[in-house]
Amino acid sequence: MNILEISDLQMSFGTNHVLRGLNMEVPEHAIFGFVGRNGVGKTTTMKIVLGLLKAQGGSVTVCGETVSYGATRTNRHIGYLPDVPEFYGYMRPREYLKLCGEITGLAPAKIKSRSEELLELVGLEGVNRRIGGFSRGMKQRLGIAQALLNEPRLLICDEPTSALDPIGRRQVLDILSAIKGRTTVVFSTHILSDVERICDHIAVLEQGQLALSGTLAEIQKQQRRNSFRIRFATEAEATAFTQLEELNRGGVELILDGKELQISCEDGSIDGQKLVDLLSEHRLAPENFEAMEPTLEDLFTEVVT
Amino acid sequence: MKHYFVFLKKELMEYARTYKLLILLAVFTIFGMTNPLIAKLTPDLLANFMPGGMTITIPEPTALDSWAQFFKNTQQMGLIVLLLVFSSVLAGEISKGTLINLLTKGLMRQAVIVAKYGAMLLVWSISVGLSAFLTWVYTAYLFPGDGVSQLVFAVFCMWLFGAFLLAVLLAASTVAGGNYGGLLLTGLAVVALLTLNIVPGALKYNPVSLASRSMELAANAIDKSVLYPAVAVTIPAALGLIGIAVLVFRRKQI
Repeated sequence: MNILEISDLQMSFGTNHVLRGLNMEVPEHAIFGFVGRNGVGKTTTMKIVLGLLKAQGGSVTVCGETVSYGATRTNRHIGYLPDVPEFYGYMRPREYLKLCGEITGLAPAKIKSRSEELLELVGLEGVNRRIGGFSRGMKQRLGIAQALLNEPRLLICDEPTSALDPIGRRQVLDILSAIKGRTTVVFSTHILSDVERICDHIAVLEQGQLALSGTLAEIQKQQRRNSFRIRFATEAEATAFTQLEELNRGGVELILDGKELQISCEDGSIDGQKLVDLLSEHRLAPENFEAMEPTLEDLFTEVVT
Repeated sequence: MKHYFVFLKKELMEYARTYKLLILLAVFTIFGMTNPLIAKLTPDLLANFMPGGMTITIPEPTALDSWAQFFKNTQQMGLIVLLLVFSSVLAGEISKGTLINLLTKGLMRQAVIVAKYGAMLLVWSISVGLSAFLTWVYTAYLFPGDGVSQLVFAVFCMWLFGAFLLAVLLAASTVAGGNYGGLLLTGLAVVALLTLNIVPGALKYNPVSLASRSMELAANAIDKSVLYPAVAVTIPAALGLIGIAVLVFRRKQI
């Protein structure tokens, strides 16, 4: 079942067409990495899902209910963590969570128990000073606590790690990994290593539409190019190999770097067996022969350039 | 209704912890304590500052002079401080993004506007009430036996004008951008209302007359019924402005 469905979403700011018929589906219990360059429309999409921005076309459903602009009822299913969550600096963490709980309509006893549980989850259980004195990482962790307060079915995180140092990033990613299975997480970012680390589904937004979508394995399979790296014993052997007629035609890309040769073939006419045959035929014994899987960064770069 | 009370509580906590409440109470307490004192001491001060050989005749101060100080201070410095202190209560939340978390939790947008107005009105009422009470106590002590007519209605008119200005500020803050856009629009609205007085008959209905003619009321120069039309215009105007603020804020992209 899909917890979030976006259909033909359109949004422009003046002449800048940010979303051009975006279609996206987020399956329940996924950690969904929503990837794209800065300014490509990730935050706009999330704000439309939250009913904070009015789309110029298309529809969004959360848990099967249509999102409407303004005070949308679908937000009772959602927890939201902005990229830089802003709090009332004069409040203490428990006071802020109490305010959020009262707005959500939780019972006082539930607010208290849930607040303690979440503050422990995000490592702020012993902190009772005013939020104004918090570091960015602490604010981000408190942001996760407030977003999870009403036990949402969908947690939307807008670049939660982009402003954090490596330790803060690791803490936030650990927390998001820990809630997997209980809550679906949509996690927008342009930090690809974060996505590879925790996300099981990935979508790449480019030019207002999804350029890639699926699990990392599916995307790698869709975008697979036969790519190999061969390290020869000498530079002369490597150079000689690049001269072969079979490798010097359209669709085959050769990158020679000293003794190392990288071969990519878009049309599939060169595969591992073919290369092994060529090496054998020309009596070449490489030191290393490796089939290369495209990384998410390779795929992302290919899509956005 | 529940959201209104939750947000009202948050607003009052904010005023208390960010010193907004303290500043207003301090200013209006100082006004309240010094109004009668200034009235009492003004003749002596003027006499002391006169060059040698020069004499002026100043009438003996009365309770009316003390209340004249009250209305002058409240109408000028008091309202300016009030507007400055509250100028960013809505605009600040929009520009900083502090409302986003709460709105995504289902906070009703109309509750934000109504609670903010309710909290500002409460603080304004306490401030002006405290200042009036202190002025009354010290006036009774320094000018025993002096009575001032139509005083309660005159103070009410001053309070109502402040309440009207707060409604203008809130409505302006939903329309204007930035922390001081609302303040600027409020200033322009006051200038427009003052300019309106050049239209014959407008003074009778103009909310500005609630503040500008309060001293005439206290001095018994006009009957309170003269200001009834202005009261009748100001109350629905303030409520209408809050209604406009709610409508604009409900459509505002945050």
